Amino acid sequence: MAPTASIKSTKKRKAAAVEDAPAETSFPQEVGLDLGSEGEEDGVEGDDEDDGEVDEFPEIDAGSDSEEEVEESEDEDEEEEEEEEEDSEDITDVDDDIRPFPISKTVISDITGQPKRVYPEIEPDYDSDSSTEDAPNRVGNVPMHWYDDLPHVGYDMNGKKVLRPARGDELDKFLETVEDPNSWISAFDKTAQADKPLTPEELDLIRRLQEGENPDASYDPYEPTVEWFTGKGKEEVMPLSSAPEPKRRWVPSKWEKQKVMKIVRAIRAGRIVPNKPKSEKPQFYSVWNDEPSTHPAPLPAPKPRLPSHAESYNPPEEYLPTEEEKKQWEETEKEDRDRDFLPQKHSALRLVPAYNQFIQERFGRQLDLYMAPRIQRKKLQIDPNSLIPKLPSPASLKPFPVYKSLSVSHQKGRVRTVGISPDGSWAVSGDESGVVSLWEVIVGREVKRWKFDGKIGAVEWCPRMDVSFFVVAIEDHLHFVVPPNLHPTVLSATLAVLSPATLPPQPDTPSPVKWTSVAAASYSADKPLLSIALPPSSGVPKQVTWHRRGDYLATVSGGEGQGGVWIHQISRRHSQAPFKKVKGVVQLVLFHPTKAHFFVATQRYIRIYNLAEQKLLKTLLAGIRWISSMDVHPMGDHLIVGGYDRKLCWFDLELSDKPYKVLRYHTRAVRSVHFHPTYPLFASSSDDGTIQIFHARVFNDLMTDPLIVPLKILRGHEVKEGLGVLQAKWCPRQPWLGKLSTVKGGMADPAKWSHCASDAA
Amino acid sequence: MGRLRKKGEAGAAKAYVTRSAAIKKLQCSLADFRRLCILKGIFPREPRHKKRANKGSSAPTSFYYAKDIAYLAHEPVLQKLRDHKAFAKKLARALGRGEWSSAKSLEDHKPTYRLDHIVKERYPTFIDAVRDIDDALCMIFLFASLPSDGKVSASLVENCARLAAEWQLYVMHTRSLRKVFLSIKGVYYQAEVLDQTVTWLVPYQFTQSIPSDVDVRVMLTFLELYQTLLGFVFFKLYTDAGLVYPPPLDAKKDESAAGIGAFSLQDARAISQQSDSAQNQTTNTAGPDGKRVSSKNVRQTIKSIQASSADDVDVEMENSEPSPADADEEEFVPHASSSNPAESADLPTLQSLSTLPQSSSAKLFAPYTFWLSRETSRPIFEFLVRSFGGKIGWPVTSGSGSPVEASDDSITHVIIDRPLVVKEDETDEERDRRQRRKYVQPQWVVDCINAGKILLEDLYAQGKTLPPHLSPFEAREDAYDPTANVDAGGAVSIEEDDEAEDAEDAMDEDDETPEHAALKAAANAQDDAALRAAELEAEAAGVDFGSFEKAAKKATTKTKQKAISQEETAEEDMNKMMMSNKQRKLYERMKHSQKKRDQERTTLESKRRTIEKEKVKKNRGSQS
Repeated sequence: MAPTASIKSTKKRKAAAVEDAPAETSFPQEVGLDLGSEGEEDGVEGDDEDDGEVDEFPEIDAGSDSEEEVEESEDEDEEEEEEEEEDSEDITDVDDDIRPFPISKTVISDITGQPKRVYPEIEPDYDSDSSTEDAPNRVGNVPMHWYDDLPHVGYDMNGKKVLRPARGDELDKFLETVEDPNSWISAFDKTAQADKPLTPEELDLIRRLQEGENPDASYDPYEPTVEWFTGKGKEEVMPLSSAPEPKRRWVPSKWEKQKVMKIVRAIRAGRIVPNKPKSEKPQFYSVWNDEPSTHPAPLPAPKPRLPSHAESYNPPEEYLPTEEEKKQWEETEKEDRDRDFLPQKHSALRLVPAYNQFIQERFGRQLDLYMAPRIQRKKLQIDPNSLIPKLPSPASLKPFPVYKSLSVSHQKGRVRTVGISPDGSWAVSGDESGVVSLWEVIVGREVKRWKFDGKIGAVEWCPRMDVSFFVVAIEDHLHFVVPPNLHPTVLSATLAVLSPATLPPQPDTPSPVKWTSVAAASYSADKPLLSIALPPSSGVPKQVTWHRRGDYLATVSGGEGQGGVWIHQISRRHSQAPFKKVKGVVQLVLFHPTKAHFFVATQRYIRIYNLAEQKLLKTLLAGIRWISSMDVHPMGDHLIVGGYDRKLCWFDLELSDKPYKVLRYHTRAVRSVHFHPTYPLFASSSDDGTIQIFHARVFNDLMTDPLIVPLKILRGHEVKEGLGVLQAKWCPRQPWLGKLSTVKGGMADPAKWSHCASDAA
Repeated sequence: MGRLRKKGEAGAAKAYVTRSAAIKKLQCSLADFRRLCILKGIFPREPRHKKRANKGSSAPTSFYYAKDIAYLAHEPVLQKLRDHKAFAKKLARALGRGEWSSAKSLEDHKPTYRLDHIVKERYPTFIDAVRDIDDALCMIFLFASLPSDGKVSASLVENCARLAAEWQLYVMHTRSLRKVFLSIKGVYYQAEVLDQTVTWLVPYQFTQSIPSDVDVRVMLTFLELYQTLLGFVFFKLYTDAGLVYPPPLDAKKDESAAGIGAFSLQDARAISQQSDSAQNQTTNTAGPDGKRVSSKNVRQTIKSIQASSADDVDVEMENSEPSPADADEEEFVPHASSSNPAESADLPTLQSLSTLPQSSSAKLFAPYTFWLSRETSRPIFEFLVRSFGGKIGWPVTSGSGSPVEASDDSITHVIIDRPLVVKEDETDEERDRRQRRKYVQPQWVVDCINAGKILLEDLYAQGKTLPPHLSPFEAREDAYDPTANVDAGGAVSIEEDDEAEDAEDAMDEDDETPEHAALKAAANAQDDAALRAAELEAEAAGVDFGSFEKAAKKATTKTKQKAISQEETAEEDMNKMMMSNKQRKLYERMKHSQKKRDQERTTLESKRRTIEKEKVKKNRGSQS
């Protein structure tokens, strides 16, 4: 085939070099395959080595083609009209409906000797125009699935149904592909609903697309350029713009020159060497030979923990996990495990398998190294017990109460308050049912009992030694009661104080507080000698506190109005409210033991006022949510404050308005705190049923901090209804403690601590 | 009043930056940032107040010191990474356009970075570097055993293997191995180099594959740094020891799986002498007496040099590996070689100081020759035995280069790890050989090293149940010690057990008898009244007064002691309330950890007790 093509091509070249283009297009039309054209094309280009490509084509076609071609080549000498005729016949044979126009041909005219375009002649018979000949189906461009369910696929020109051609099953299709030599170049035609072989034009188009050529066969990418403006006589004479030509067009660039010269100089000096081999620094050298920098080295990463016995391949048997431990280990999350492996025992080294987590663990270590924040922690190598402060032993700080010596009880009602006489031999207690009992401290005998109506808020003994009476605070009233069996001189002095013969003059402005007293002559121990009626609806006074001299006493009532704080002066029979307005609810008040200062505790703050100058001195921040109790050291420089949130604060008044020490040792709310008047002791009682005794030594030297030593925890109180020890008071002259609780007390040796408490359970 | 301070302009807000802010500032990708952090050793910090550092937000983020990031911004490697990004773009463009020549020239000028300065920065002194090579060694040994694949290139694995071999050579040469531990994870080695303990873990010889949940890129970045670091460290170590770095690799030996044996240590001075002599020769027109020097003489002089400098250089190694000095010894000229050794012998150099005679345990295996059985791991035991001065041989199946043959008479120990099998057809010669040699299991070697002395071989003989292998690294004082309790604590515990058992027995059997009940009552009596009641009861039950009194006394002393101790604890408890909050928390934490450790110990002890009891029972059973 190839030789024939080449022969033909050479002949053709002899005939006319220009002729090859139309020949290329015309030949394939004869056979419906483009192999002729291809071979010819190759031949034309002088490329005879494409035998393989040519051989690829099916033999049958090739044979027929070559025959025809041979014929054609033999007929080459014949007239061209014949050839043209043949061509036109071919066109009709193929019934090409793609090309609307007949293909032209360029031939050299015999007459002029110039190439001319010749079109095939059209025979004027019915089928001559291929463009009008058409597919029988005239259904148009409609979706063909409309005919899916119908026996026909459309209508022909006469309106007759075009029946759907028979389509075989898959097997038929397959057989067709095997038998029909054209099946590989046929495609499904939608309008005909059948496989139609592709036309040579279509095949040519496909080939061109495959090879990435221009799909248009007639496009010539190598057309000679047409010089419109270059060449002799074609130059533009007139300039396009009237602007003068810029200098840069004809003056060489200075900067370019400088740049070039720079490079030239560098080359001359040997600084630039083309294709210079890279100067290789040795890969390793002694980096550490020169001076180390003065910067401190970054902290080295912590080293991983060294393996323990458990990690051994042959550990002691006790390290092997039991079944439960194994299960527990497997159930815990990987992060929560205290060990990342399960100990195993292998009888020989050769039986040890590979560790399957090895790379993960290495990777985890690396993640730790670059992603985990590091904190430097100091490791303390100390005995934890050395952290406990070394305090003097309690045994060296005696005396202090160590056990319960005495316990007395009220019949009924909750004992709220206790007062102890300044000589320490009498105690008086009041309960919620209105009963006030007088007790002899050493024996614990009840000497007398008074009955008031309403709950007893506070009972407080007057601190004066020459007189002897106590105040009982009930709803809106204060009653001054003189105990029985007094020494006559004391009794007369007491009577003179409480109901003097000549009353002091009434103040000018009428006071809401009324003082009423029984005449000294009609004195009886059963009745209060003097009563003060507080303004109505001021409630039960929460607290009664005496000034050290015993002339003034302050009360705090829970009711509203002027903070409920009143200061009463017995000698003048006068009461005054020191504060017009107080921020917050006043919880407690206290007189300073030595100065004219007055402590007022609201829920959170403690304010110190100077009564003489009538101004605020200091506000102490206890940091307690709710202050429950407060006491001032007999020296007057220290204050302890207890709170319902279990804290106890020690304030050094000279030092700061913040606590010097905050202790939190009670498990429940602190109910009361009290400094011993003479011994360096203080006690705190709490709802957890305990009383804690502290040694509290205060130094005159300002530099030495007060020494606080916990001495003893007194237990043994039953906690009832959430209430423990409600108040604890010291006996003024002995290291004894009087306390009150909701619980029945016991009794023991009075030498150590006495215990005047009672209860009605 | 001072000026009002704006929020977020000082303090934690300025001192810390979040990771995303850092990346934004450095203008690099997250991957590059990670790489930089790994290379430069920068890690996130935990600010004390996260909210303040994060400008009010409490979202979980990782923070870095702003100064660290500023320091990263000046990093040359960062610049190189940026250059590389530009390079990659240019190259892709050139390739896409098919501009091959420009692509080639681009490729020739590909930006590469070096890590020398980072090594110097991170480890300003050599000691710092040696202190920190643990992780590097672990990684190198791991990657040396990995199969190469698409992620891990073959050259990387080869380089890791080379570094690993170099380290082992150095450790063997300087005899600095101290402790070994065969764990289930691998073999832990501990060496002492320049007074720094270096611990590394080598996996057992199995094919590892990188699991999918591990990010290989991170590991490779670490490895990049570690390779550089180890290269510099080894260079310094080798040169300080007077050796040539890198040690030349014999390719032929390496191919025949000689392992460490493929490398040969070279004395740096021998090399320098050689070059000196070569120079001399070029200057002196080889005189007639220069030819007369025999190769033997030269070898002797070299040996004397080496002996003077490092008196315990591996003898075996020198014999087995012909140093290149031997190769062209013919050319030696006497003047040069005779002048140099005198100099070097007189100068007390660093290397002669560093190779001062070590403790005797460093030459633990010096008098012995070992033979490795086929099933034992050659790399492990070759390294162990040779670092303690022993000589070792192995069958050809474990690799080539064995200095001794199996039939060698000098072999004293055979390290064997298979059950004992009686060989039927044994020749006399074989039997004789077998009787002369000691067959030990591999654990013997390791235990000897950890004990620092040669242990009795009988316990470790072939086929015997091995004694437990203990970690030489367990250092905590109060930790459970499995060895100590064997003699002292064990007896006590057994006695206690007996007591307990007796008590149990009493509980089981005699609970009904009134005497015991009475005695028990006496023991339990708290105060006088109860005691009296107990006495009466005892009398009624018929217990004689003596025994009753004894029991009562015992009980009272016990209660007294208890009371005293209680008082003390109560006092202490009271003192605790005077501790500050900080101290109390610290105290509680310490107590907690102490308690945990104690509990751990007690569980181990109790387990052991039960195990021992079972053993005793079993023994009894077998005896009867």
